[in-house]
Amino acid sequence: MAARDEILTRIRTILSRPDLPFPPAEAPPLTAGERMTVTHAEGARQQLAKRFGEELTQLYGSFEILASAVEVRLALVNRLTDWAAEEEAARKGPKPETYGQDRMVLSWAPDKLPIAGLSEVLTDMQWKLVAPQQLTTPEALDGVRFIRFGVTGVEAAFAATGSMLVVSGAGQNRAASLLPFRHIALIPFSRLCPTIEAWLATQRATGNLADLLRGRAGWNLITGPSKSADIEMNLTLGVHGPKFVHAILFDDGKPETTETEEYRNWRIEKFEQSETEE
Amino acid sequence: MTLSTIDLTLPYKTRVQDALSNKHLRVALERSTGRMAGQRAAAMAAIDEQTLRDQVRQMKEHVLRNLPDLLEQLERNVTANGGHVHWAKEGVDLQRILVDIARKANVQKVVKAKSMVTEEVHLNQALQNAGMTVVETDLGEYIIQLAGEPPSHIVAPVLHRRVEDISDIFQRELDMPPTLDPQVICSVARGILRKEFLSADMGVSGCNFAIAETGTCCIVTNEGNGRMSSTLPRVYVVVMGIEKLAPTIEDAFLQYQALCRSSTGQQCSVYLSMTSGPRQLGDTDGPEEFHLVLLDNGRVDMLAKGYGEALCCIRCGACLNVCPVYREIGGHAYGSTYSGPIGAVISPSIHLEVTDVNKLPYASTLCGACREACPVKIDLPRMLLELRRDVVEEHDAPLFDRAAMQGFSQMMQSRFRYETAGKLGSLGSNIFASMSGGNIKFMPGPLAAWTNSRDFPPLAKRSFRELWHERQRQRQSIGKEMKK
Repeated sequence: MAARDEILTRIRTILSRPDLPFPPAEAPPLTAGERMTVTHAEGARQQLAKRFGEELTQLYGSFEILASAVEVRLALVNRLTDWAAEEEAARKGPKPETYGQDRMVLSWAPDKLPIAGLSEVLTDMQWKLVAPQQLTTPEALDGVRFIRFGVTGVEAAFAATGSMLVVSGAGQNRAASLLPFRHIALIPFSRLCPTIEAWLATQRATGNLADLLRGRAGWNLITGPSKSADIEMNLTLGVHGPKFVHAILFDDGKPETTETEEYRNWRIEKFEQSETEE
Repeated sequence: MTLSTIDLTLPYKTRVQDALSNKHLRVALERSTGRMAGQRAAAMAAIDEQTLRDQVRQMKEHVLRNLPDLLEQLERNVTANGGHVHWAKEGVDLQRILVDIARKANVQKVVKAKSMVTEEVHLNQALQNAGMTVVETDLGEYIIQLAGEPPSHIVAPVLHRRVEDISDIFQRELDMPPTLDPQVICSVARGILRKEFLSADMGVSGCNFAIAETGTCCIVTNEGNGRMSSTLPRVYVVVMGIEKLAPTIEDAFLQYQALCRSSTGQQCSVYLSMTSGPRQLGDTDGPEEFHLVLLDNGRVDMLAKGYGEALCCIRCGACLNVCPVYREIGGHAYGSTYSGPIGAVISPSIHLEVTDVNKLPYASTLCGACREACPVKIDLPRMLLELRRDVVEEHDAPLFDRAAMQGFSQMMQSRFRYETAGKLGSLGSNIFASMSGGNIKFMPGPLAAWTNSRDFPPLAKRSFRELWHERQRQRQSIGKEMKK
């Protein structure tokens, strides 16, 4: 603690010097009203979905826009089959040992995905949806390390930059959007926002933005497939994270909201707690 | 075995000469810096650039004015989220804290995401001395770790190497078959590093910014190694300079976008990883221990000495890419973890052992390109000038420079002395010049530094004052003739 107090006291002493050239004595914070939106997007859901797709495509990702949950289930099965065949055709040399993981899909818990019945459809087509309870031991990680496909939902998606926000939590592992070779994100229209700034403003208005962020340990904003330019500024894809990111956007007919019921309950509970504490 | 021929402890002049005579370095610098500067300019031109820069600047000024309060708020929130906060005054304190955390958690292998602040305090060496294996996982950092070299750019650590050199390093160290395809080189690294991630006990990263109101540490990456390091190992440690704060979530996203556009010309980086604490009850994965280490190491000194403006820096590297000096000599010639204009400004204050650190403020033409490129509008040329002033005031300037400046000031104080010196100089230099065909080709002593590489023109035969008087006389005589 000595270092802490020493550092803080010293900064306070320095900042109280009237002759200090920097920072200026008056340094007001940025207010919500003046803070700019860096990248803009607007339009109805369909237009936002299209913009999201275009932005993602520019970053070497891919997308499709579908009309209903039924179509999503079908599209996912078809995609998985196509990709598996594609990789099989592109493979050089003997087939590596995958311990049966080549027909598995690493996923969030089925009830955390925005589409019901996905697990059953996949099982019908000899795919297996895997949603581990824990992924913290080497043994558990070995059980998923050869899986090529990952499926997740999103907390929110932003059309202006083609970005999606994924959040850790019960049934929402961080691995499914990180470890596999391909990441498939299921994005219902109700989670699609024009910009990051618009989403932040909505959450701030409901009064729970800070609690929302702190309420989960790990948040990730993902914009396209993993890449590097470290070798002479040459673009290389799939350095550590997924090499392919595919977004399936679909109309879920729900009113626009990015707050899940679970969050609402948690927030209300937290609020009640703080009330009783006071 | 190390392939490195880079020695940062050589005298400044030798470092620069080595860099200038290294043809491969020149090729690598040419290939990269121009492209990065162009991408930045395009990404900034696509938006309201001035407003973004002004707002990030205002936010950083607010942070520094309220630094102690915000640090306390951050500490409170990280602790409330279940994390541990540590404070380190010097590099050695940070090394000790990290070794302690690792020992307590029985750590054997450490994976690191790219971080300048851990380079600054030589953390890898300390952890290795304590018996741990340390693996850099950013592709560029991994390459230079294999080659045993320090990074040469804030954002692109292996900028000083051509693809041919990188291929050589991989062939020698990893038995890679010969190839110049970056995608193949990259997939070799992916395979090896994936195993390291899955078997590591501790992840260490820097911090692009931490959000005070929530206690959230954010790292900005493209490869995903930052996510791996903060997700897979049991223990995750974030090391952060005390100035890297954003008061609110909205401020953090504003700075995030300014950083992405300025450093690599992206709208958004591929990943922005935000960690508020260890994994929560019910979480499938994530670290079980979360530590944040706050480092001073000369940053408070910077504020005290009046160079606090440099603490606004968000480490985007834009000033390096546009600097005509950096583009010629590269990062290693600066001899410091931080190179380019911002490196020349912060290296004298940050507690780093840099040979000839007082020479760094002179590694600039003061052209102002860095100030134009800076997303936080840091007035780097002014600070470089002030640092030069400090060097002179500390009498660290070379004897010749001091004598010359004193002589100059004496001369300028009297008209007689000034005119006499001008006449003598003109006479002398013209005699010299006429002996060697128009221009002076050789000068004695320290002045030879000029004539070694270019000619020196003689002073004008007649001073401006003399020419002016003559012109006035002519006009008067013409005027008189007209009146007649």
